[in-house]
Order: sequence, then C-alpha cells, then structure tokens
Amino acid sequence: MIELRGVSKTVTSGDRPLTILHPLDLFIPSGQCVSIVGPSGSGKSTLLGLIAGLDAPTTGEIWIDGVEITTLSEDALASLRGSNIGFVFQFFHLIPSLSAFENILVPLEIAGVTGAREKAEGLLQEVGLEERATHYPSQLSGGEQQRIAIARALANDPPILLADEPTGNLDSANGHHVVELLLEVNRRRGTTVVLVTHDTELAEITEVTLSMRDGRTERRQAAPGEPVAREA
Amino acid sequence: MTAPVRPFSSASISFVLKMTLREIRASWKRLVVFFVCVAIGVGAIVGVRSIIQSARSALLREARTLLAADVLVQSRQPWTEEQLATLQARFDQMPRLDRIESIETATMIRPADSTKEVAKLVELRGVQPGFPFYGTLELAGGATFESSMLAGYGALVRPELLAQLDVEVGEEVIIGDDVYEIRGVVLVEPGHQLSAFSLGSRVLVDHAALVGSDLLTFGSRARYQTLLRLEEEQIEPLVERLQADFENSFVRVWSYHRTENRVSRNLGRAENYLSLIGFVIVILGGIGVWSVTRVFIQQKLKTIAILKCLGARTWQLLAVYILQVFVLGFGGSLLGVAMATLALQAVPVDVVAGYGEISFGLTRSAAVQGAGIGVLVSLLFALVPLLDVRHVRPLLLLRATDAPWSREIDWVRIAAIGSITAALVVVASWQADSWRVGAYVSGGFAGVAVVLHLAASALVRVVAPLARTTWFPLRHAVISLGRPGNQTRTILLAVGLGSFFLIGVRALQVNLLQEFALDIREDAPDMFLIDIQQDQASGVRELLESRSPGARAALLPVLRGRVTGVEEESVDLDGAEDVRGRGSLGREYVVTYREGLEENERIIDGGPWTDDPSMTQVSIEQSIRERFDIDLGDVIRFAVLGRTIRARVVSVREVQWSDTRRGGFMFVFRPDAFEDAPHSFIAMFRGPEAMAERGRLQRDLVARYSNVSIIDVRDVMSAAKEILDAVTLAISVVGAITVFTGMLILIGSVAMTKFQRLYEAAIFKTLGATSRMIATMTLLEYGGLGTLAGIVGSAGAVLLTWVLSRYLLEIEWHPAFAQNIGGIVLTAGVVAVVGVLSSVDVFRRRPLATLRAE
Repeated sequence: MIELRGVSKTVTSGDRPLTILHPLDLFIPSGQCVSIVGPSGSGKSTLLGLIAGLDAPTTGEIWIDGVEITTLSEDALASLRGSNIGFVFQFFHLIPSLSAFENILVPLEIAGVTGAREKAEGLLQEVGLEERATHYPSQLSGGEQQRIAIARALANDPPILLADEPTGNLDSANGHHVVELLLEVNRRRGTTVVLVTHDTELAEITEVTLSMRDGRTERRQAAPGEPVAREA
Repeated sequence: MTAPVRPFSSASISFVLKMTLREIRASWKRLVVFFVCVAIGVGAIVGVRSIIQSARSALLREARTLLAADVLVQSRQPWTEEQLATLQARFDQMPRLDRIESIETATMIRPADSTKEVAKLVELRGVQPGFPFYGTLELAGGATFESSMLAGYGALVRPELLAQLDVEVGEEVIIGDDVYEIRGVVLVEPGHQLSAFSLGSRVLVDHAALVGSDLLTFGSRARYQTLLRLEEEQIEPLVERLQADFENSFVRVWSYHRTENRVSRNLGRAENYLSLIGFVIVILGGIGVWSVTRVFIQQKLKTIAILKCLGARTWQLLAVYILQVFVLGFGGSLLGVAMATLALQAVPVDVVAGYGEISFGLTRSAAVQGAGIGVLVSLLFALVPLLDVRHVRPLLLLRATDAPWSREIDWVRIAAIGSITAALVVVASWQADSWRVGAYVSGGFAGVAVVLHLAASALVRVVAPLARTTWFPLRHAVISLGRPGNQTRTILLAVGLGSFFLIGVRALQVNLLQEFALDIREDAPDMFLIDIQQDQASGVRELLESRSPGARAALLPVLRGRVTGVEEESVDLDGAEDVRGRGSLGREYVVTYREGLEENERIIDGGPWTDDPSMTQVSIEQSIRERFDIDLGDVIRFAVLGRTIRARVVSVREVQWSDTRRGGFMFVFRPDAFEDAPHSFIAMFRGPEAMAERGRLQRDLVARYSNVSIIDVRDVMSAAKEILDAVTLAISVVGAITVFTGMLILIGSVAMTKFQRLYEAAIFKTLGATSRMIATMTLLEYGGLGTLAGIVGSAGAVLLTWVLSRYLLEIEWHPAFAQNIGGIVLTAGVVAVVGVLSSVDVFRRRPLATLRAE
C-alpha cells in the first residue's frame, strides 16, 4: 500500500525556486497495477523517486505499508527499499563489474537471504536468461539487461515494484516482452506495480492510469470505486 | 518480502566480503599500478632496515672483538710516569686483570730487496704477546696465529700489501731502520674498527720491536693503547674511575659497551634516515592511491547509487571500498617484502667494509614495519576520497544532473584529514626516530602540496584568457584544464612532488660531489710528507727538488696543540673539561706559524701581526669564530709540547679548503711563538709523473729518512673515488627508484582519467574533430601541466638543497642549474608524452562505441 499526503517537491533552479511537483495526495492499494503518464518534465519520475525514498519531498508525508518514510535516515530508507521496494530503471542500471547472475544475487546478499544462489538461479530462469548467467552487462542486449534488472528488482519478493520508463530504451519486441513480464509479476505475485511511461499503449494495459503535466495530476482513470489521486 | 537484516550481522558482513572480492576482481588492473608504487617504497624500507639490522646484530655479537678487549685506554702521546703510576694503582685494585700494550702509528714500508723500487705508507701496530683478548686473528691458509710469529722481527701483513710491494711470505721488508720477515697474511684483525678513511694497509709487529725502533720520534702520529681483560662486573667501575683519574687530560678510556652503544646508535641513525627515503617513496605511492581512489569513486558513483537503491547501507559500502584498499595495500606490501627478499640475496656479504662477512637476511621487524607502513599509508590516503561514498544518493540514478553531494561543511571529512595528517607525522617521526625530522619531512610535503595546489589554481586562472583563442586544440586544452572534476590538481600534485624529490636528489648529489671532488690540477701537490724532523728539512727539500726539476717543495712547520682555555667576555672556558664541552674545540689541532698569508687564504677581519711583544698572536679560521664564539681580542690558551701558551686573536681568516696546494690551518701563530721550539715539518710536493720515478723517490726518501711518512695522494684519491662512486651509485639507485615510482603514478593518473576524455573525444569526433587535433589538445594540456609541475618541483628542490646543504650537511651550496632546468624540461616532456601515449586509445577509438557505452 502506498499513500502520499500533500507531497510536493520544489528545487532551486539558478536562484529561483522551481516546483516540479505540486502538492498531491495519492493512494495506491496493494496489488494494483498503476501507470503514470505525461510528457517530459511533467514530474512523473520525481513522483516515482519520492515513493521509492530516493528523494525527500519538500512537503507532505509518504507512507509505505504503514511506515512514514520521509522521516527515515538514508540507511533506514536503504533497508526499506531492500525489503519492500523493487525498482526498474529506463537505463537498466546494472552494476557493470558484476555478471548477470551476480547482479541478481546482490540484493539477496544485502538482505542476508539464505539460499540466495538458488533463488537467483530461479529468477534468472524466470526471465529466460539462464544461458546468460556469466555474461556481463556490456555483453547483453538492452532487452536482456532490462530483464535482468526486473529479476534483480524481484529478488527479495518486494510487495511494491516501481518502474521508470522500463520500455523507453527498448525496441517494440523487447518492450513487449518486458511489459508482459511486469504484468505477470502483478498478476501472479500480487505485487503492486507502479510504472512511469510515455507509451500510451502500455498505460492502457494497466488497471489505473495517472496523467501528469507541469507537476500536477491531469486526469485520473480510476477503477470503479477506487479514488487514487487528487490535488491536495 | 524479506525481513530487514541487522547491521553488523554475519549476513551483512558476508555481503561486504563478497562485494569486496567482486570489486577487486573487476578493478585490480586499474588500481595495481599505484600499489606497485607502495610496493617499491615498502621494498626500500624493508631492504634498508633488514640490511642494517643484520649488520647491527652481527656487530653487536662481535662488540668485544671490535675492541679485542673489555676496556681500552688510549693516549696520543707516550705515557708519562705519572699516568703509568695512576694506571698501575687502579689495576692493582682489580682482583683479576690481564693487560696488553699496543701502539699504532703510520709509517713507510719497503721491500728489503733493493731492486724492488717501491715504498708504501702503512698503519703499523705493535702488540704484546697475548693479543687479542677476544676474537681470532685469522691468517691466510688457515694458519693459527701465535705471538711467537711476531718475535724476532716478524711481521704479519694484509694480502694487498704483498701485491703492492711485490713480495711474498718469507721475504723481508724494511720498516724504519729495521728489517722484518713477513711470516703470515692477516685476513681479519680483531680490534681494527671500521673507519671511513685508512692511511694504508695494516701491518702487525711485536710491541717491543716497535718501541725499540726510531719510529716513535717526536711529533709522530702514534696511538698508545692499553688493552684490558677483566671480570664483567668490574668493567664499568674501572672505566668510571679511570675516566675520573684522567678527567683533565686527553687520555680516553672506554669499554666494549661503548663500542656496542656507538655501533648501535650510528647504525640506528643510518637505518632511520635511510628508511625515510623508503617512506618518502611510500608517500608518493600514497598520493597515487589518493588520486586513484578519488577518480575511482567518481567512476563508481553509479554502482554505489545502485547498491544503495538495492538496500545497501553506507557503512557496508564504505567497508567494501576500504577493505579493497586494505587488500591491495597489503598485497602491495607483500610484493614489497618479496622484492626486498630478492634484493637482499644480491647484497654482497662484505658490503659493510671492515666488518668482515655478514649474511643479510630479511628481519621480521623490518618486514612487519614495512608492510605495516604500506597498508597504513594506503588506507590513510584512500580514506578521504572514500568518505565521498557517504554522500552518494540513489537519486543519481533518476536525475543525473543532481549534485552528488551537498556543499555544507563536512566535519567528518575535516576531522579525517586532521587525523590523517597527525598519523602521517607520527609515522614519519617513527621512521626517523625523531619528532623534529618527522615534522620537517611532513611539513616539507605539506608545503609543496599546498604550493602545488595554489599553483594549479593559478595556472587555471592565468591560462583562462587563452580559451578565447581561435586555435581549437589550444582553446580546448585550456578549457579542459579548468573543467570541474579534471585531474589538474591531482596530476600536478603527484608529478610535482615526484619532480621535487627527483630534482632535489640530483641537485644534492651535485652539491655533494662538488664538495668532495678532489682538485686534480696540473700544479696541485700529489705527495704529502709528514713527520719531517727539523734537522731533516733541508735534506728532504733538496732530494725532492732534485727528483722533479722545476717543482717547488713547500715545507710547513707543524706542531700539535690543544685548546685548554679561552679568556674573554662572552666565552670563558677554563680547563680541558670546559673546552671538551665545546665539542670539536677540544680535539687536537695541527698548528703552524708563518709571517704572512698563503695564496688560498685572506683576512676577513682584523689585520696582520703587530709588534706587540707582551703576548704572542694567533690568527683563527672563520669557522672557529662561527662555531665557538671566539673573536678578535680574545686570548686562547694552548697546550703545545707540554707548555701552556697564551695567544691573542688578531685576525680571522677565510681559507679556500678546496685549494689543496697550500694546505689550511685553523690556528696560525706569529713566528716568535715556536721558531725555537722543537717541531716537525710537513711537505707538499708535486711528485714525478712516471710511476717508476715515483716509486724510486719514495724508496730513497724512506731509506734516508726512515721516520718520514709519505702519503701518495694518487692512492688516496683512488680510495676516495671508490667511496664517492659508491655514494653516487647509492644516490642514483634511490633516484632511479623514485623516477620509476613517479612515472608509474603519472601513467596511472592519466589512465584513470581516460574515461572522461574518451567521452569528450567521441563527441568532438562526431562534430568533426580529427584524431590529430585531439592528440594536439592532449599534448598541450599535459605539456602545460608538466611544465608547471617541473617549475614548482624545481623551486622546492632548490629550497630543499639549500636548507640541507647549509644546515644539515654544512657544505657550500651551489645552484645546480643544469639539473633544475633539465628537470623542468624532462618533467614537461615526460608528462606530455605519457599523457599522449596513455590516451592513444582515446584518439583511435570509434566514437559510436564510446557514446553507446555512455
């Protein structure tokens, strides 16, 4: 469950304050698949970063599974991400010095999971890349890198999976494959999936779409009876 | 979803260890060059310490052998009746005491066979039966030494003398007026200690024979020694009593304990100073580690952000990178220890001249100390750049433009820098075993580092207007120098410090060599005659001048005297003890008298002799005034020939010591003081060029005047040159090691910053720039950096050599122009060439591959 109360973000641009996210309330129940769409600079990635605790809001509170995260230290946030949130980036962000298998292994090791290797092997199989286990990121195609990134994000069975433009760097075939994978995760594991995308086709597949422009929510497409976002 | 892992749990530590191994696997090739620098420094420390520690423990085991006795009592003059009575009275109090007399003097030796026209100066030692108390007098062919070998005019000689005189065991030689039979060849002589300079080969004869000869005439340079063997617990009490007995005379008493302490202290000091050089190399390696860690962390920002995004805590990531530095630093240190072990096997067993054979092996304390310093310096220098790990935020993955860290004052960083500085001062002081030297070395480094840092900022500002030039390579070289995140300061620091040290070592070498270089001019004397008696003077002069037509033999009257007191306002030294408290003022001086000045001296204060009959007059050398605060008008009391002479200082002279033609004296008296007193002469003379003529002259001199000793400077010079060659070799080896280390740091620094330039070059190429254009840009950028590093390093080196020459070595300072200018040009050239060569990849690589990777 994700809940934002009056969350905004203002940064300094030159000497002037620039609000990149206007105060916003948002509620995403567990297990929902939500897409956030909007043009570049509309604040969607900022919103995703705030939910992941990668950035601190200027105002407001963010609750993740009953924990208010804006008051947590960097290390506590890291710990929370390690156990509760998986993140998939547009540019994959795999660790270049580690093999595909090791990239999946890392979050399991950080969390101290027993049987980490077996679990990582299972995830590698799940994304269909068991043959590529020993390859380094530079030896993988974009689609393969993103599948490894998804496997890594799922390693600790997080209840929440956040994806920032997960298909933005892929061709349509690979993009399709990745989307299938994300929806499958949502369906089979009951993971809450929030993805930021330009791709309206992709957005339409999700249960809920939140549209943004200039740091404000523009349109809400809610599932029956479930208010997801409103201006604070 | 998994439960959050507890900090410092085994799982958490296991992650740190695994990540460390993975990071080392991925990065070791990029980092290894810097740790090789650490290895070289550690190798130098371990090697030097091991050699000296091995020598020290071998020598300490042999302390008694070095003295050949428990206690030695020595006088420069024949024992007086009173002194002998005092000695005997003390010896009678000892329950068990053995005693041997020994006399050492320098004299000439020649073969009895008159067809062999050669004569040599030797150090002759006459010993009584029973010598030595300790150690074994080793003879060639495994023969055992017995006192009877010396009885009836027997002599033992060194192997080199046999060759020099062209004689063999069983043949006869003439020493003084006596004929001796050579009965053996000495390989090791107990009681003959290391001395930097030996007048000649050692010859051992019977004490009674020496006493009965005419060699111990007035003014001879003999040392009269009494060797004692007694119970261990009686040694120090006896030494203390004898020292008290002879407090106001110039008799010296010491036990083997003092030899032990002196050897220990001298070698300890040598060990500490020499290992400071190793420490400086380790510091250079440390600067490399600092610069590489800085760049490395910049390259790892994304990885750190990803790991934080995946749940890793800051301490875990810090631990990963600190552990990585530790492993590489430890590996580098082990490599250094291995290098030292190999090098030690190549050290000749007789490297410590005069001490016989010593086996040099790795000592545990040297290995532990070297390795400890390697690891410590690596960690200390890596720590500050590693602290940046704390500021990396995972948001970087979403918004690359976000500043990775804030500009607030970072107290942890400041505290770390403070602690590291303090730690380095402590380590430097520990290495030098002196807080003062430790502080100087650290202060010197810090000073040069600050100057280089300021110079870097100044360079960026000064060249900034060139960014408006229309020449593309120059414009971008300038922009590149000032670009945020460029390695301008790092490279300037590493290379500048390297060149500072290198130019400093070379310039110091020039200064040392100039100081010691012996003047070999056409008219410079190359033969010195000592102990010429008054009645022999005219005969010696005639003989010399007849053998070398046109040459003039200068005979200078000489006496031996000691300063026993100074009477004046600022200094009032009363008696031998006070004078001895003034250091070398208490030593025995060779003094002369004459009317005027020699060509190599001038009066800098005061004037010529006056006719004042009330007191005799003396002229002092300027160093006496500077060191002992004695000035014009002061009265100095001298003990000469058992008489006390009071002389007033009427002039201060400056002597050109490098001009050996006329000799030099600290004290010159007005002739009336000693004209009628008994004294000897020394002669300086340009001997015949042909070796045969030279040999014949020496032989005839010795045959006619057996007490006269001849020092052939040609031999001395070759001995001095050997010492100089050894010193030069040692300095060159150190210089070469430092050059190598500096080069490694430079190559590493350039290679580490390549990733930045690869991307820029790719963009330039996409926009139409040619590889040649980019190469020129790189050449200009690094050439400029190298020039500045060279200039700052050279300026620092000038200051360093001046301070060291003036205050530590007390030698004249010469600006080494060639070394300084050459150093600047070389630094600029090397940095430019290495910069370009390390970037060949940048010029050659196709832009698309780089852009895609970014």
